[in-house]
Amino acid sequence: MNLVLPPDRLLIDMDLAAPAFRCGEFEGRWRLVSSGWPHVVIAVSAPPRPSAPLEFGFRFECSGYRQTPVTAQPWDIEAGTPLPRAKWPTGKSIVPSVFRPDWKNGHCLYLPCDRMSIEGHDQWRTQHPTRLWQPSRGIICYLEQLHDLFHQSDYSGLLGS
Amino acid sequence: MNKVTVFIQTHGRPDIVEAELAVAATLGELHDLLATSGIAVDAETVIFIDEAEEHLSGERHHPVHGLKHGSRIHVGRCKRIAVTVHFLHKTAEHHFPPGARVRAVKAWAVHKFEMDPKDAAEHVLQLCKSTDRPSSDTPLHQLVHGHDCALCFDLVPEKRVEG
Repeated sequence: MNLVLPPDRLLIDMDLAAPAFRCGEFEGRWRLVSSGWPHVVIAVSAPPRPSAPLEFGFRFECSGYRQTPVTAQPWDIEAGTPLPRAKWPTGKSIVPSVFRPDWKNGHCLYLPCDRMSIEGHDQWRTQHPTRLWQPSRGIICYLEQLHDLFHQSDYSGLLGS
Repeated sequence: MNKVTVFIQTHGRPDIVEAELAVAATLGELHDLLATSGIAVDAETVIFIDEAEEHLSGERHHPVHGLKHGSRIHVGRCKRIAVTVHFLHKTAEHHFPPGARVRAVKAWAVHKFEMDPKDAAEHVLQLCKSTDRPSSDTPLHQLVHGHDCALCFDLVPEKRVEG
């Protein structure tokens, strides 16, 4: 009997094998850690900071992909559990506005491209047009934002440092 | 023969093509690869490897220098991209190779406008007359449209996500 996979699962599998994602892996911007539908765990690289890791894990929930945005939870890759609050990344202004362990009990990031966070934030559609989810680009648009937050913004290390 | 995985980006095409090429590939082998990938090359086409300052040139049997695992191969018609950046009342211009990334433009602009590191971290490049803020790893030639080998950015404050 042939197993018919749902289209959202097929699409995320396809995007994780696509050149745009693999190019990021080759360049060390991110790497696929594991995949178990509907979740995908991806590590995003970060620049060196005192007592901080060189990458952060995120568990993406991908139901309804790509028309429906994904939602990402900071994830402890070794333990396979949500990232403890003290190990969340922080910074001076921009980064702490996105990485808020108090928001939704740490289940998602405070980003307009996040499925859970965009709910009830219609004003973000005009305030942050380039941070919105782009169905045509899929998970790449989320990963690029995370990578830029660590490398081009005010990231300073761990919340608990 | 040792091979490397390369990613081909062509002016005017949004997609990236993944391919394999011998580490010691010649220009002829690279041109053949482009042809089999459906990428047209003519006398005006220039090819750059990664963020190299100079485009490839020579005969078919000449080696391609600078290839490594994961290299990006940029195919287009611009030998240089004239970049203009506006910041407050100031304007600066510089010419970049097509494979240079947006992050290189920001680093240059930060230096040119003598911004302190804190201010720099809170500013991003936005394409002029748009709300587009391309990611810092975007190669410049991917942002160029039509036949102009030019780009214009505003260096604008990054907004905190609030509300």
